[in-house]
Amino acid sequence: MAGTPGGREGAREIRVWDPLVRLTHWGVALGVLVNSALTDPDGALHEQVGYGVLALVVLRLLWCIVGPKPARFSAFPPSPAAALGHLRAMLRGERKVHLSHNPMGALMVYNLWLTLLALSATGIMMGTVTFFGVDWVEELHEAAFGWLMFSVALHVGGVLFDQWRTGVPLARAMVTGRKRIQAERLDG
Amino acid sequence: MTPWLRPLMRPGDADERRAAILAWMIVLQALCALFFIGDVLADLRAGNDDTGTHLWLEGSVALVLCIGLGVLMYELRQLLMRMERVTTTLRAARGEMAEVIEGFFADWGLTPAERDVALMILKGLDNDSIATVRGRAAGTVRAQSAAIYAKAGVDGRTQFLSLFMEELLADPD
Repeated sequence: MAGTPGGREGAREIRVWDPLVRLTHWGVALGVLVNSALTDPDGALHEQVGYGVLALVVLRLLWCIVGPKPARFSAFPPSPAAALGHLRAMLRGERKVHLSHNPMGALMVYNLWLTLLALSATGIMMGTVTFFGVDWVEELHEAAFGWLMFSVALHVGGVLFDQWRTGVPLARAMVTGRKRIQAERLDG
Repeated sequence: MTPWLRPLMRPGDADERRAAILAWMIVLQALCALFFIGDVLADLRAGNDDTGTHLWLEGSVALVLCIGLGVLMYELRQLLMRMERVTTTLRAARGEMAEVIEGFFADWGLTPAERDVALMILKGLDNDSIATVRGRAAGTVRAQSAAIYAKAGVDGRTQFLSLFMEELLADPD
């Protein structure tokens, strides 16, 4: 209640993740959870869930082209240089907040999408006559799955770490769609 | 504010509900489209000649679903962009209002203490609440608000508030 008019200072809620981004995110997360832990890998349900996840990923990639600004590719271009820069800024103790993904988070996003696409592709190949029972396809599917699990662990760890570092409740933002950000920390 | 009034007071929420419904529709329709496309592909691979009409029908359904999907996505994008515009405009208006208020305070030559009190008056606090918040005697606050009204050239709280309402409702030009 001090002399700052309009409540302009302090935390501000900014809409960043639109409902389609959130739905596809949690849909994919659910699909991955179901297919990795609950379904029989040789069963029809495993295949159907896999197709569903693929559809969600493709939908999200389309949304990267036609969607609103924070959801688009242009908001988080894959750039190892930017990621390194972000890492250095982090080590220096800077606490800038990014509206869309931060540069390292962006790399993780692309990694997850590519891994999911590879998983789907090899999964579909395993169901075709040509590649049925072919060893390298199956091995690739399993390798991609291992990599996905590793990436998911890294992704969750990264989110928790960034949440602690910047004080922006990121997981909550993926549920409500809003990031609560200190105005002076905002950076693109 | 009573809870049932809140959705009315924040019109943005209706848009957000609409956006959420659209997003659900898009996801569900994408899954339906996938089902039909998969079915068509499976039929094509099986290569049965006697399923010609069946194939055409399923193909058309898949096509219509995909077109609908495109329309829904376009619609959602437009809605989200409009919501973004509304938020930006509101924020700008609010930011400008803060500047207008600051400008008035400076013109009237309010002291820092008087600025605080004036701001709380604008936020709708009565003298007793202001006294509690600021940890001053009610008499002090009363004297301060009297000084504020005198400097602003108004004869009371209502006129003081209407000064700012005037500014808010005035035409931009």
